[in-house]
Amino acid sequence: MTPEKEVMEISLPPSPAAPAPRAPLASRRYALEVRQQMAWPRQALILAVSLAIGFGISAAILVAAGVPAGELLNEFVLQTLFDRQSLQAVLFQAAPMILVGLGAAMAFRARFWNLGLEGQMIWGAIGATAVSFFDVGPHALRLPLMLCMAITFGLVWALAPVLLKLRLGVNEIISSLMLNYIAGNFLLHLVYGPWKDPKDAFPYSPQFRGFERLPEWFGSTGPTAIALALAVTLLAWWFVGISRAGLYLRFVDANPRMAHAVGVPVRRMVLSAVLLSGALSGIAGFVVVAGQEGRLTQAFYTGYGVSGILIAFLARNNPLAATVVALLVAALFVAGRNLQVFYQIPFSMVQLIQAIVVICVASSDFFIRHRIRPVVGKAG
Amino acid sequence: MDVFAIASNWLGNAPDFAVPYALAALGLILTERSGVLALGAEGLMLVGALVGIGAQLSFGDPSLSLLLAMLAASLVSVLFAVMVILLRVNQVIAGLALVFFCQGLTGLLGTLLGWTNRAVESFAAIPLGPLATLPLVGRLFAQNLVVYLTLPIFIAVVWYLTRTSAGLRLRAVGENPQAADAAGISVTAWRFAAVLAGAALVGLAGAYISLVSTKLWIAGMTGGRGWIAVGLVIFARWSPWKALAGAVLFGCIEALIPQLAAAGVQLPQYFVLMTPYAVTLAVMVWVALTRRGRDDEPGALGQPYLREERK
Amino acid sequence: MATALQLTGITKSFDGFKALSEADFSAGWGEVHALLGENGAGKSSLMNIAAGLYAPEAGQMSVDDNPVQLGGPRDAARHHIGMVHQHFKLVKPFTVAENIMLGHPLASGEGSHRRRLAQLEAQIRSKARELGFDIDPRQRTEQLSIAEQQRVEILKVLLAGARILILDEPTAVLTDSEAERLLSTVHALARSGAAVILVTHKMADVMTYADRVTVMRGGRTIKTVDPKQVAVAELVQLTVGDSVAAPVRGRSPAGEPRLRVRGLRTPGTGGTGGRRALDGVDLTLHAGEIYGLAGVGGNGQSELAAALMGLTEQLEGELVLEGFGDLAKASNAERRALQFAAIPADRYGIALAGALSVAENFGIGQVHDGRYGPAWRLDSRRMQEDARAAVAQFDVQGVRSLDQKAALLSGGNAQKLVLAREFGRVPRIVLAHSPSRGLDVRASAEVHARLLAARDAGAAVLLISEDLDEVLALADRVGVMTRGRIVAEFEQPADRQAIGQAMVHE
Repeated sequence: MTPEKEVMEISLPPSPAAPAPRAPLASRRYALEVRQQMAWPRQALILAVSLAIGFGISAAILVAAGVPAGELLNEFVLQTLFDRQSLQAVLFQAAPMILVGLGAAMAFRARFWNLGLEGQMIWGAIGATAVSFFDVGPHALRLPLMLCMAITFGLVWALAPVLLKLRLGVNEIISSLMLNYIAGNFLLHLVYGPWKDPKDAFPYSPQFRGFERLPEWFGSTGPTAIALALAVTLLAWWFVGISRAGLYLRFVDANPRMAHAVGVPVRRMVLSAVLLSGALSGIAGFVVVAGQEGRLTQAFYTGYGVSGILIAFLARNNPLAATVVALLVAALFVAGRNLQVFYQIPFSMVQLIQAIVVICVASSDFFIRHRIRPVVGKAG
Repeated sequence: MDVFAIASNWLGNAPDFAVPYALAALGLILTERSGVLALGAEGLMLVGALVGIGAQLSFGDPSLSLLLAMLAASLVSVLFAVMVILLRVNQVIAGLALVFFCQGLTGLLGTLLGWTNRAVESFAAIPLGPLATLPLVGRLFAQNLVVYLTLPIFIAVVWYLTRTSAGLRLRAVGENPQAADAAGISVTAWRFAAVLAGAALVGLAGAYISLVSTKLWIAGMTGGRGWIAVGLVIFARWSPWKALAGAVLFGCIEALIPQLAAAGVQLPQYFVLMTPYAVTLAVMVWVALTRRGRDDEPGALGQPYLREERK
Repeated sequence: MATALQLTGITKSFDGFKALSEADFSAGWGEVHALLGENGAGKSSLMNIAAGLYAPEAGQMSVDDNPVQLGGPRDAARHHIGMVHQHFKLVKPFTVAENIMLGHPLASGEGSHRRRLAQLEAQIRSKARELGFDIDPRQRTEQLSIAEQQRVEILKVLLAGARILILDEPTAVLTDSEAERLLSTVHALARSGAAVILVTHKMADVMTYADRVTVMRGGRTIKTVDPKQVAVAELVQLTVGDSVAAPVRGRSPAGEPRLRVRGLRTPGTGGTGGRRALDGVDLTLHAGEIYGLAGVGGNGQSELAAALMGLTEQLEGELVLEGFGDLAKASNAERRALQFAAIPADRYGIALAGALSVAENFGIGQVHDGRYGPAWRLDSRRMQEDARAAVAQFDVQGVRSLDQKAALLSGGNAQKLVLAREFGRVPRIVLAHSPSRGLDVRASAEVHARLLAARDAGAAVLLISEDLDEVLALADRVGVMTRGRIVAEFEQPADRQAIGQAMVHE
């Protein structure tokens, strides 16, 4: 058992020549550490600061793009929120925003990057339009039927990425994005082709009949759409906050391996969350075509994908917070359109502002999750 | 219907479609080999595309324009690098944010600076002597400068990754940052360099689309090609040569479509436009069905690194 | 004997937890100096500072009596300090030579990369020969055994010019005979003039091979003694503080067979040369018995634990539970319903969701069968009540509020929370994988007591541990696992030598 006790001669590098004794400076080095938690008020402060910085940068860009600095406050706050017509537009805009925001949040809660919101929205709209186009069902049931078809189509379009991910491990970012482009092209095919309104040369479907549009309240379809969106919000809140599924989802989000080990039906939860996400986007599509537009148009979905992700991200996937954030994003959209009309600022500005806000908030997370500490080396 | 002419045109046009995919995929591979998940290709390509046209409109020198485009893309990628390497932001969120940022910024600048829809002159085809007169494949040897440079660029990057000590360090950073750090290699510095260098190649790919292919700028003109390149890298399992093969495949498919129309085959217009996306999806499914294991993915891909982190 | 390495007054905290508190350490040239202490005593943290990986908040360091300040691992290498870590810092797909090249001066030398690599390969061969290692520099690291990988790490630091070698728990992953080989190599290195620092918690290694030993406890240096001149008992007392009574194993006759594992196999993987992680595991667990599975890590223990927990996708073979059938076909929720309790080794990876609250981490164990409300409404109040009771019963410390994140719990308390959840209903089968890893002596004793109590209540317990002492202390029967199979079984009292031999038997 005792090994041969020969003394091995092992050559070692030459003895370290005594380096000139360095006078150790009281140097400041900074060490980075991970924080385990941070008090809520401080988190809110950091978030507020980051939002302020984000809006500040956006304001600077707007001024550079030709909007007089003095006009900014006027445009964004006064005109948008206190002008009756603009306020109506904001409410109009808010309903689909809330829905895509919820859609994104549902999927993200299951750690699933559903970037196919626009595609699912498109198919939802197509489903609703199909009911109108083919004149299906009795008039009284027409609207609910359209809603059902929108939910179904949106859900089905979300089925492919989630099944591919669960069964084959296909990256859902790419698959859902590719499906967006496919859906977009199919939409163009429909509105330029078989579903084109023969009355004029524009690429859209024939106008929906009266009973195929959202009922009007206070003179517009906006409030109805908002009511629908809020009802859905309550449903979403129940799902993630009250039901058992909400607890399961929290585990899937926090630690999927552990969730699986502890008996949570992970695959079923992910599937449910993503299909719900698709359905919500489908409803958003329905709301736009049956509410605002009144027909199927070629670019009604632009900007909702980015907005949905932004809303979910800022609201930390919380349904109630998402509603509030969605309202703000809707206001941003309306302000953006005003800027486009009055100052010729292209609508890409809105996307840029959204991206800047996401970047600022995401970067500020660093200060919540880490602590920087100076490390002092004592002299002598 | 001259099959010969159609085939010759097809082969002649294929490189034009393949090169952007190839260069973008190579740039992504370079970045991801250091362990940084790079999803921002779509945005960086737009930046390269815009600056390529803008520089050409301003200075009229195509080579300079390409260089400026690469520089611009690298510059924008600094934002991404700071976010994911220094601030340790979730790399998917940062990538998406980068794409949205670039989409918004290029859309805005393109309009404000009046660069939209203005045609430019750029690289002409350079026929390679007698090779260009060959039947059928002749047009493959009458491509522009950038197409000819693509293969040397690939060889240079592959050589760098596999045959130099620097490449070894880069790969170590991507496979096992703890090991690299313990060996005294600066994970931060190498990842930064990889992101910027990769971005330059992606910017070049974007500039090719606008400056060389279509010779003008329209907002959003990359149309998802950046995302397809990301899919291509997964399909190629992070191997540059497989990525090149994939890019060639995609190029051939995309080049085939206008030729089919020329051959009189009637295809519904918008279904034809769906092809690249449908093919990407199909390819990714095929890869998932046939793959054996995740051996080729850089070991630490997508995970931010912090030396003092305790479990 | 001049001082090779000296650390004085070192203080270091991690996010509020004080790992080191004015710790001192000094090692001389030509000696093997052991740094002894329990898990969490601060030994690894102190040495990581010496190797330049961590920065201390206070304190000084000197090499060969010259004060130094390290800015990173490269500085440490420049001062001839090299550390072999517990978790190897090797890039798996690279060859041995490429791995060693990474930190080596040759990496930035002149000449082509290939030529320098060849130069390095020659250096590796000659050094390996000197040390009696059999290493081929062209081989890919992922194909080497753990012991061979460790030798690569040693070569790496020696070739980079280290004269002060720090080895962090080197024998943790080795069999008894491999450990002996390593320690005699280390001994020879010291005799040739190097300073070797052995960070360990194994008393036996210290007694046999160390010239001096410094004991650490709770982040402080307690004492430095010559192991040849102190009794083991005194060393233990210094290490552990006040003695903690080891739980009495006792023995009641084993009951009927409860779980039969037959021919468990996993598909051959491409990475480890086609070898199957599980290659036909057969064992039987009886009610009221602790079956201790010993073996060096990496021989399939983790895969066996995963298979039993229902985490393995493609599994061949049978897991027959008496009165139920093939467990392998049951879902994880069904397993819990069958009173199957699992304590995984990877606490924060598989046992807890750090970002969620203590109450949620507890409640998820019993929510499936409706104890906390129907599917459409979660009864959070009842979950909180149950959690509160469980936290008290299982003595989980550091819980200021049931809503706080589970990640804030220290290692021992996190494990107790896991136990609270898993033992919430009296278990019929318990799987415990390295249950006391990273825990201090007191917490370990509590965990062991729970396992014994479960056994006495009639559960069939499978204890998988790389700590042979733990296995021998608790098990009624001992099995040895090598290369994915059970190769030997012993009744207690078992012969440690025989077990050790079974572990290396091919």
